[in-house]
This record gives sequence, structure tokens and C-alpha cells, in this order.
Amino acid sequence: MKRLALLPLIVGTLALAACGGTSSSGGSASKAASGGSSSGGHTTITVWQGDTETEAAAFKTLVAEFNRTHPTITVNSQFYGNSDYALQKVLAAIAGGKPPDISYLYGSWAPNIATNPQVVKLNKFINADPSFNWNDFFPAERKVATVGNNIIGVPALVDNLALVYNKTLFQQAGIPTPTPQWTWSDFENAALKLTDPAKKQFGWAYVNDASEDTVWRYWAMLWQAGGSILSPDAKQAAFNSAAGVKAMTLLQQLSAKHAIYLDDGSDNYLSVFNNGHIGMLWTGPWDLAQIIQSKVKYGVTILPADQNHQTISGPDNWVMFNNGSAREQAAWTFLKWLTSPAIDLQWVTLTGDLPVRASVAKLAGYTKFTQRYPGIGVWAANLNNATQARPQITTYPKISTAIGQAVQGVLLGKAQPQQALSQAAQQVNGILAAPG
Amino acid sequence: MTASGIAVSPRPSLLKRLAASDHLAGWAFVAPAVILIAVFALIPIGWSLLLSLQSTNLIAPAHYVGLANYRALTKDPAFRSAIGHTLVYTVLFVPISVAGALGIAVALNRRIRGIRFYRVAVFVPLVTSTVATGIIFLWLLDPTFGLVNYVLHLLGLPQQQFLQDPNQALYCIVVMTVWSWLGFDVIIYLAALQGIPEDLLEASEMDGASRWATFRSIVLPLLGPATLFIVVWSTINALQLFDEIYVTTRGGPLGSTTVIVYYLYQQAFQFFNGGYGAAIAYVLFLGILIVTLLQLWIGRRRVYYSS
Repeated sequence: MKRLALLPLIVGTLALAACGGTSSSGGSASKAASGGSSSGGHTTITVWQGDTETEAAAFKTLVAEFNRTHPTITVNSQFYGNSDYALQKVLAAIAGGKPPDISYLYGSWAPNIATNPQVVKLNKFINADPSFNWNDFFPAERKVATVGNNIIGVPALVDNLALVYNKTLFQQAGIPTPTPQWTWSDFENAALKLTDPAKKQFGWAYVNDASEDTVWRYWAMLWQAGGSILSPDAKQAAFNSAAGVKAMTLLQQLSAKHAIYLDDGSDNYLSVFNNGHIGMLWTGPWDLAQIIQSKVKYGVTILPADQNHQTISGPDNWVMFNNGSAREQAAWTFLKWLTSPAIDLQWVTLTGDLPVRASVAKLAGYTKFTQRYPGIGVWAANLNNATQARPQITTYPKISTAIGQAVQGVLLGKAQPQQALSQAAQQVNGILAAPG
Repeated sequence: MTASGIAVSPRPSLLKRLAASDHLAGWAFVAPAVILIAVFALIPIGWSLLLSLQSTNLIAPAHYVGLANYRALTKDPAFRSAIGHTLVYTVLFVPISVAGALGIAVALNRRIRGIRFYRVAVFVPLVTSTVATGIIFLWLLDPTFGLVNYVLHLLGLPQQQFLQDPNQALYCIVVMTVWSWLGFDVIIYLAALQGIPEDLLEASEMDGASRWATFRSIVLPLLGPATLFIVVWSTINALQLFDEIYVTTRGGPLGSTTVIVYYLYQQAFQFFNGGYGAAIAYVLFLGILIVTLLQLWIGRRRVYYSS
């Protein structure tokens, strides 16, 4: 019955979204969303938040503190688990006319989310309040929170890719460990030397499920080689360039020599690394807690350079929905408090995430945070290497799929770099030319 | 009584007739199910038809586009290959699981030691969550660290890429889903086998029929209704394959396991093409309806129902 039940569910979700019926995502969500109120100077707002259990517990702590220190506002927090599920819930709630006051949403959804008239444009709050200090947020975060000229979110989480390596394997292979000055050829040589099929040992790992997880790693390489994703006017594909081919060729050569552990998307790469079978990972702070637990002797440094050491960042947003001006004001008060430097430091110390503001690094408690999570300081500083963002357009998910197929084809040895990129560029140009 | 000048008494009111009729009790009994089906199936089916005539990202207000989504579907090569993958899967999944279930059910329909254990063992995969099944198979079939490749290595056979090979992935999904769904078919067949009257089997034995002849001429025809049910049920399930793909290959590698419902999901919830997704759902719905009616029509001619 498990499978049979699914189609009506999908059809049902679509239908509910169309008709503006009630939320399909269960009683708790819709109850919570409608539970906001404003009377007698007291305002209650609802916040939907997702991610891991660690984040859920930390968020509860902070919300309790906010409610204690802000007697006129009550924040109701609802945890929905993995953020992947947020979109469906929010879609249903929007259709039902009862969105939460604030929801955590992936940055890549921003251009589509922004098309909803209930989404609050935050420019008015930010411009009226210099103490909010918008420019204190990292550039990559601000880009993802901005659609056109409208700021539609406050940065909620930021990460980026850095190079994590197993010191023991480097020692065994008799090669020096990576440095911040490393080039692609240093990286390639090390990956090959760390590879030993007899020991089931790989130099590197790559998530090869053709999802955005496959694609964003390729974007980092493309930028490092000096390429761009789209033309400046975002009307043409630009990745089909010498830089694009160079990045693809690096993937092709390492994969052909079995130097890459190809992860099927189940994120097994982490346990394989933690068991000492992978020399280097390109990964973010989200893996750090488990790496520390595994007792692997690891080091962290920035990504190797071709032209530069750029990385890619995947910021997510707190998006506000308009449920009346009193609740809107209360929601803004909460977000300003939550993302203030002192509270943000509290948050990252509890979760091991990266600070969303640059000034957090100047606070007195910051060293305590970096000592608690050895290596985290590299990712925090690496945010300065995240100078570009993915295109902020509604068709990005389709573009991502086209590139995902190209990268996967090359990694599996089913396509040549130039051929794969030309084909993807043709698809992307078609997507960009299509109306709507 | 005839109308003979006497004033005709008015017919009893509709309510009274209803209350007196046998139908009322029947409807009262089925009402909960009818209401649930209406709310969770019929109404969404109607609404999704409306949605399929709109262009919407499910976030901003939608606008009506007539049959544009359906016209686009006819020109969409990705949709065509999704249909192809779904058909290949169905054509493999249904016969293999029906034949496999029949064999296992016959083997389990005996009085031997530990029969309960075997029956439970066959049924367990069905109640295992799809996510768990998916993760187990991902590890079993992992090209580097998987058990299956290890066994192949011991046997001196070449290593395979399985779910990471575009030419093998769909067949791996067939194996995985047959394993996890077989239990259901086996239970149906076991029940049907135990419903076969003993006297018929004894009679054929007395007439000197071999075991194979008994099976072919007595058992198999009597299993007809069960077989028809299982074929229809499995076909519907196969055409709606989604969960197993979602937790393992996510439609890959290189789109080789993108089946219709997975493509629908991609369009509606990754690409924000809600109307297009609804149109796919509708085409699939009509396709399943036609296939099912065809199967039932053939079944009515071929299946023997004992009284």
C-alpha cells in the first residue's frame, strides 16, 4: 500500500495548491500557522524551522530566551525536520492562505518564492534601521537574499566548501599535506598518489547523483578556472568555455584513474572518509561534527586554485510572510534579534554552523567557538572566497539539472568534457529562451 | 389497487421511502469509506484536472492556459523516455513478481517444520520501510564496498557498477522492488491455494493425474481470480513507481531510472511547474485506467470463477 498511496498524495498536493484548500501537511502545521494573533499589545508569531536535531534543540533554547526577554511577543517555533520538506509544506500553507510568519527556506528557492505576493520585502525595515547593519552579512548571503531589487530574506545559514584531508593517509603516501597555496596540479598529483584500488582507497570523493550537490562542486571549479555560469545578462550559457572544459577534464582524468569515490547521493562518502578510505573531501561544516567523532586525524584548508581559490556558498534564508502589520513588525523584531552578532555567536557555538555575520569573528567568545570545532575557522574565513553566487533566476533548478547530467556523464566515462558541455549549453540556452 | 375515482393518496415522502428501503442501511455502512475516497481521491482528481489547465509555480497566482500543458507533453522527449522506462519496468516487474509469488506460495503451502518462519520471512520485506530497503540495496550494490561485488569477486566474475551504471540501474530497481513486494502477492496466493477444495485435488489424484497435471488443470485455473487481482494490482503499482527511485537513484544515473511519477515530481516540486506536473499526473491516471479496464475485460473472458 505504501506505493499506491503516493500518487493520490502528489495529485492531492497539487490540487490543494490550486484550489486554495486547507493545508495538507497535517493539523499541527496549519494550526500553528493560524495560531498567530495580535491583541492588546501582545503579538504571537509562528516560525517554521528545519535542519537537523542539533539545530532544532539550539533553536528551542534561543526562542525561549527571546520569549523571556520580549514580554510583548510570543514566538511559536515549529520544527519540520529536514529542510528538503519545507517547500512542500510552505506551498500548501500559501495555497491555504495561512503561511507562517517566518519560514526557513533554501536560498535556491528564493526567486520562485519571491513571486508570492504575501512574501514581505524587507528593504523598508533594513533601510529604516542602520543598526541592523545589512552589510555585515557576507556578500554571498546578501546576493541570495536579494531577488531583483527586493530583499526577501534574512540570511539564516551559510556554508561553503573547503578541503578536508586525512593526515594519516598523506603520511602513508609520503606526500606533504595540502596548503592554502595549493594549485590544481598539486591537488591532482596528491589525489593520484593517495589512490590505491587494492586497498579500496581513493584520493577524493564526488557526489555523483546529478543533483545540485553534484552541480555546485562543479561551479566552484568553474570559477576557480576563471569561468562563469551565464553571460552577464543571464540570457546565454557561459560555462561552455575553456575554463568549463578544463574543470570537466580534471574530473574526467581523476575519475578515469579511479581516484574519485563516486557517491550515489546517499552521502556514504562521509563514512568512507571516516573509515580512512578517502584522502581528501571538498565539504562543508555540516560534516565536521561526525568527522571529529570518528577520530580521524584531519586537517582543513581552502580549496586549491587554478586561477584563484574561489569556493561556493549555499546560503539559506529566513523568509517573512505578511499576516498583518503587527505580526510583521514582531517577526522583524525576532529576526533582528536572532541574527544579531551576540545571539548568532550563541547559535554557532551550540550548532557548529558558521556565523552569518562578519563581525561575529570580532566578539570575545569567538575563539571558544573555533576551539570547540577545530577547523571551523577555515570555513569561516573561506566565506571571503565565496565571491560569486549562482544565478538568481526562477529557471535555475532546470539549469542545474542539465549541468548535473553533464557532470555525471563525464564522471561515469559516458561523455567527453567538450561534448557534455556543448549539449548542456544547448539545453540551458533553450531553457533561458523559453517564456515564463 | 386501481385508480377508480377515489382520490389517489399521495406517494409517501422521499424521506420515508428512503428510511424504509434496504438501501439506506447499505449506504450507511459504506458512507465512511465513500466520504474518505471522495475527499482524498475524487475531489483531488477533479482539482488536478483544473490545475493541469493552468500555468502555475504553486506560489504565485495561477493563470489559465487551456491545453498548453498537454500540447507541451506531446513534444517533450524527457516525458517520452520516462514513459519508456516505466513500461520497461512494468513489463519486467509484473510477470517476474507474479510468477515468483506463485512458485513461493506453492512451496509454502505445505505442512513442513518451521513453515511459519518461512512465511514470515517472505512477508518481512513488505513491511520493511522503503527507505530502509533502499539503503540496504544501496550498500549491497555499492560498486566498491558492496557485498554483491564481493561475492562476484570470490567467484572470479567481473565487478559491476549496478545502480551507478545507466545500463543496469533500472534492472537493479526491478530486482529490489520484486524482493520487497513479493510478500504481498505470496499472501494472496497462499490464501487462494488454501481455498481450493480438497475433494477436487483428491478426485484428480484418484483419476491418476500427475502432480504437474493437477497443478496445470485444477490449481492454476482455480487461482485465476487471485492472479487477475495480483496482475491488476502489480501493474498499477509498477506504473506508479516512485518511492524506491526517490530513495535510491533519484532518477539517475543519466536519467536512466526517471519513471513517470519521478518526472512528475521533478517538474512540480523541483522545477516549479505545477500545472505541467498535474498534466503528467492526468495522463498517467488515464493510462492506468485504460490498462486496468483492458486487464479486467480480458480477465472476465479468461478467468474461471467457482461458485
